[in-house]
Amino acid sequence: MKKLAISLYAAVTVALMIWGYYQAIYVAPDEQTMHEVQRIFYYHVPSAMVAFLFFAISLAGSIGYLSFRHSRNAWAQIADAWALAGAEVGVVFCTVVLITGPLWGRRAWGIWWTWDARLTTTLVLWLIYVSYLLLRRFAAGPQVQTLAAVLGIFGALDVPIVYMSNRWWRTMHPAPVFGGGPDSGLDPAMLRAFGWNVLAWLAWGLLILVLRYYVERQHQIIAAREAQDALNA
Amino acid sequence: MDQTAILNHQFVVAAYVITWAIQLGYLAWLGLRWRAQKRAAERL
Repeated sequence: MKKLAISLYAAVTVALMIWGYYQAIYVAPDEQTMHEVQRIFYYHVPSAMVAFLFFAISLAGSIGYLSFRHSRNAWAQIADAWALAGAEVGVVFCTVVLITGPLWGRRAWGIWWTWDARLTTTLVLWLIYVSYLLLRRFAAGPQVQTLAAVLGIFGALDVPIVYMSNRWWRTMHPAPVFGGGPDSGLDPAMLRAFGWNVLAWLAWGLLILVLRYYVERQHQIIAAREAQDALNA
Repeated sequence: MDQTAILNHQFVVAAYVITWAIQLGYLAWLGLRWRAQKRAAERL
């Protein structure tokens, strides 16, 4: 039953991805000034939204770990697995954002990169979570999970700064498309294509997030069993 | 097609291909880890 549900979800996700691609490439109209290169937007922005969501999950997991680590170890381990899964899958999506953005920028602005507030804060966000993953990978000892949780919370503080950066400061990055004032918004056909791609990338992201969570839980269970065996030997 | 349109098209293709390469590459890496841990769990 569980296998069937996962297969069904994966099939729906693949269908959504294909439909999203079709909408972005063939259905959405050409933008008047940027023309075809604007279609990068349909992968760039949903990836950023999903990355933010997963960093929020990592934040919740980190807070959960710090809250339960002395009282309920089983809950703390579950929270820690969600924190790691959120951070890692968030980094994957953030990497997509940092690559597709400059590809668009090269055509729209004529440059690959500029030290603009939105771009710089996004790069800092990515670096913080990469350092989180490096800490988890290479550090050892009983304090690693606690240190990682603190770093995870610290990293998540950058998410609202990234989101607000093109509202707070003058940036080269385009003004907010949604909720950015009377001139913001999208053509309805573009909005539909954008909506389908948000849904598709969210479905895909949740699929790999849950898979990453299970891999981490399995790792925790194996590590606990090995530690128990070592104690018994 | 003029040169600008060709370049625009190439950049869109590059963005979409790189996105999928990253996502599918990560999925493949996760699959390998999943399999390795399943084997490790069986050994215990």
